Amino acid sequence: MESHTEIFFEHERWGCNLAWSVGLHVLVAGCIVGYAIVAPASRGSDWGAGGGGDAMGVTLVSNVPLPASQTQTQNVLANESKGLSQSHPKPQPEVKEPEAIPIPDKNAKKKTKPESSATKRKPEPQPVEEANNIVPFGQGGPVSGPYGTFSVGGAKGGFGVTGGGGDFGNKYAWYVKVIQQKVSENWLKYEIDPRISAANRVYLTFDVARDGSPRNVQIEQSSGVPSLDQSAVRALQRIDTFGPLPSDYAGNKVSVEFWFDYNRK
Amino acid sequence: MKFLLFTNDHSTQLRTWVLIRPIIFALIFVSVVSSAFAQDWVRTGTGLGIEKVRIAVPDFKAATQDPKNTDLLRVFNDTLFSDLDNAGIFDVVSKSFYPLGPIGAPADVKFEAWSSPPPNAAMLAFGNLGVSGNNMTVQGWLYDMKNVGSPQVLGKQYGDAPTAEGARLTAHKFADEIIFRLGGGIQGIAESKIVFVSSRTGKKEIWEMDYDGNNQHQVTHLGSIALSPRFSPDDSRVALSSLTQSGWEILMYSLELDRVVSFPRFGGSNLSPAWSPDGTKLAFSSSRTGDPEIYVVDSSGGNLKRITSFKGPDVSPTWNRKTGGQIAWVSGRSGLPQIYMSEADGTNAQRITEEGYAVSPSWSPNGQFLAFSWIRRYGPGAPGAEDIYLMDIASKQWVQLTHDGGRNDFPTWSPDGRHIVFQSNRSGTEQIWTMLADGTAQKPVTASGRNSQPNWSWK
Repeated sequence: MESHTEIFFEHERWGCNLAWSVGLHVLVAGCIVGYAIVAPASRGSDWGAGGGGDAMGVTLVSNVPLPASQTQTQNVLANESKGLSQSHPKPQPEVKEPEAIPIPDKNAKKKTKPESSATKRKPEPQPVEEANNIVPFGQGGPVSGPYGTFSVGGAKGGFGVTGGGGDFGNKYAWYVKVIQQKVSENWLKYEIDPRISAANRVYLTFDVARDGSPRNVQIEQSSGVPSLDQSAVRALQRIDTFGPLPSDYAGNKVSVEFWFDYNRK
Repeated sequence: MKFLLFTNDHSTQLRTWVLIRPIIFALIFVSVVSSAFAQDWVRTGTGLGIEKVRIAVPDFKAATQDPKNTDLLRVFNDTLFSDLDNAGIFDVVSKSFYPLGPIGAPADVKFEAWSSPPPNAAMLAFGNLGVSGNNMTVQGWLYDMKNVGSPQVLGKQYGDAPTAEGARLTAHKFADEIIFRLGGGIQGIAESKIVFVSSRTGKKEIWEMDYDGNNQHQVTHLGSIALSPRFSPDDSRVALSSLTQSGWEILMYSLELDRVVSFPRFGGSNLSPAWSPDGTKLAFSSSRTGDPEIYVVDSSGGNLKRITSFKGPDVSPTWNRKTGGQIAWVSGRSGLPQIYMSEADGTNAQRITEEGYAVSPSWSPNGQFLAFSWIRRYGPGAPGAEDIYLMDIASKQWVQLTHDGGRNDFPTWSPDGRHIVFQSNRSGTEQIWTMLADGTAQKPVTASGRNSQPNWSWK
């Protein structure tokens, strides 16, 4: 019986608290509903952006066996290689104004002024448009002998053929493109020491036999980074064949010089 | 200090090299020219902006006046265009960019019009098709448009019966020839087949189709349940597991004889056969001793060997398709199924997935990648999407290929290693889908009934 009275007493006391509670709940619910109505426009810019502590680090495989679109600029200004052509600013012929009267000592300074402004207006040496038939400057390209060149889909740079019949690159540009594409596909950048951010160009030579298989892979000039050299050699070892040499080609092999540029961005 | 010295040395060496190089080259040139064709040098580099070959495929021209030409040309042109589009190595120029005027022979080619924008094509595939009497003759050429001097890469002539099937087959052959030349000696897949399990007749039977979903037809008529079909490396047989009177057994179906050929019954449940790349061995899982374990048996059925011996199920083996020296499979020894890898004799087993629920491994033809199906977060409250992933075996890096929901399972590689076929129910029912191995160009190839467990032929 006592308990009954106690409960009754507590019940008495709830009244006020209950009113508060209900009021506050309604307030909170109102806030949530209000926020939901007002806020949607403002949120949602970065939903799904992750960043959670337990998100797993996704490491993308750098290379699936498809032609990856690796674009690396050959712009003379954008990489440290010397570029394709040697460009010197043209020596500006000295223009003497016919009416100019040389005045000694006092006005010597004044005379120099217009000259300096003229040099300022002189156009800056523009980066030379890289033509496909330019000899690679300072990059071990063919210096003498015939260099057949080929303009293969946007690829600019050290395409050059020398020696022998000398017309392979001219006649079978598509095959050279295949070689280039296949080697690029099979070059896995993750094999390179991650501490290296850039390295010298590594030069490889190899032969393509009649059946299209690469032979005699050799490092012509090391980059100085063993893991880079190795990754380049492995790229070639991974390739079984480039496809048989064109059937109307008379030679029994083609020698290829290939370079690898490495620049981690 | 040392470094400086080295670079100095290096640069002086280089300078001397630059100085004497013209002389050397001149000498080499003189000596080499005298022996003509002794050697050809090609100099090239990487990172030069690799892009897909831009190819234009104008409609073939009718070579005769036969009334059948129109229909056959339509089939041929559609097939050739879609084969090259599906190859994964071309950027096929949209037909709306093509210059006017049909091209049927080399004399019709206007290099300027094709090699400059808008078509801007690097390659041009063209030709003609003509029916005369009971013969269809197709002439096809592939021209390098940037090389006006000697443009011909390929010139082919085909003959076949003047039927839609013949036209399609000829288009596949020509497409494969183009892909072989421009894709670096890798055979195209236009003539390849896919086997799969379909229940559209009411029973789960094995069906076969062309890689693009055409020509779907039933292969087995077992009248029970047939699962996990696997082409043999010579594509003459299909190994499958089927529910027989003695339980789940491995059956061998000859595609040449069109019937089941003899293969021993091992007892217990025998599932998920897998051919070694040389075709001499078959790996499968068998519960003949109670626990499902991986066994290897000769393709004739003899010489049964067990290669796993841990508690917990071991199923779904796949061989390293390049070397045949390793096997990957699914093991439940640590709880949820995970992918394991070992030598082909079962030694040196290691787990290669770390979490979640990973099943259906499939080794790529170049031996470099493992495709598998993975529920990365498995369990209550987890999103639980099942997607296809690709793992680079050497580096253990992986990439997710499907993102579009549903359950995606049973990935298998195409013979060229550029495509993956898999099963997905994202459209509502289980269907067969294909995609490029980088996850792009996903599309369904089946539509009727429920279709699952695809397997791509080896050629």
